Amino acid sequence: MSYREYTVFFMIVTGILALFVASPALSRLLVLPRTEFFTEFWILDSNHRAEDYPFNITLMHDYSVFLGIANHLGYCAYYSVEVKFRNQTQPAPNSFNHTPSSLPALYSITAFVADQGVWEQSLTFSFNYQHNEALRRVEFDSLILNDVELDLKEYSTDWNVEREEFFSNLFFELWIYNGTTNSIQYHERSVSLRLNMTV
Amino acid sequence: MSLRDFLFVVFAVSSVFSLCGLVFVSFVEGSENVVASIELEAGAAIAEAEGKIVICYRVVADADRVGANITGLLVVLNDAGDVLSGAELAYKFGDFDYAVSLALQSQERLSSFVEEADVLRGAAMQARYWDFLVNVVGSIMGAVAVVCGGFVVWVVLRRRYSQAGSVGL
Repeated sequence: MSYREYTVFFMIVTGILALFVASPALSRLLVLPRTEFFTEFWILDSNHRAEDYPFNITLMHDYSVFLGIANHLGYCAYYSVEVKFRNQTQPAPNSFNHTPSSLPALYSITAFVADQGVWEQSLTFSFNYQHNEALRRVEFDSLILNDVELDLKEYSTDWNVEREEFFSNLFFELWIYNGTTNSIQYHERSVSLRLNMTV
Repeated sequence: MSLRDFLFVVFAVSSVFSLCGLVFVSFVEGSENVVASIELEAGAAIAEAEGKIVICYRVVADADRVGANITGLLVVLNDAGDVLSGAELAYKFGDFDYAVSLALQSQERLSSFVEEADVLRGAAMQARYWDFLVNVVGSIMGAVAVVCGGFVVWVVLRRRYSQAGSVGL
């Protein structure tokens, strides 16, 4: 081996060794910064799939779904899920204007989720309602959500002739605490279950 | 019965009715005041519990920022949040006593929360400091030492190589 070859070999070995020793520091310094910060919000059926959601609802029958949040905001987040209910004439959340429904929340679920963390809760619900045959209307009494009875006495839904169903919509809006304004604000995400009340 | 007696009886009966009316009205007003007072108390307890949750959330967020393991803290915080949701629901249904009870329970669950979070935050900051010292400063200094050592070894070997070469000549 010539002197020059020997020198090159020595430099390569030294360089590799130096990189190996510096690898813990490099692994911390050469990390691409996160550029996308967002929240995932989902609803799944009782088998943890997105295919067999409850639709035809019978009186006082229990139905289960999973509601989940995944936090990719880069910080521990304080979420509030507002449970709302509506019929076909009442306002839904607007995904174009990014506004929530103006209907009052029946219940609020609080969720604190660490950065890159996932929160999921099983929701079991049933409806108590009466069928007014004369008016072809379903008049609601209550929604029982995870053993909590929520008042639905002011809610009703009329027979939809086109769809041939008593349409109603159980939906969940995601709100988030804003530390700057010290208030909970709409996080522009909602998921919903379209339901048909069978009589 | 004379007219005078009759008037006296009418006066007496009307006085008794007026008095009963006044007692009833004051009773109703009193109950309303009591209800209003409980409602105010429930509202204040809920607001206080909400404030406590926000304070605890901020402490947790700070601890998370420095890399503390906040899993246990989040379980407690979520639990307190659930209880507070129950309090808000009870308030909505007009069950103010229960709302106060739940709001207080929510606060109780967070009684030593800030201290625990501060301890975790302190430990995380300490761990972060040592991690930085060992893994960043230590490894960079190690790499520099390897390069310098390599250079010194190379210089020494080159001298020996040159001397051996000159001896060979």
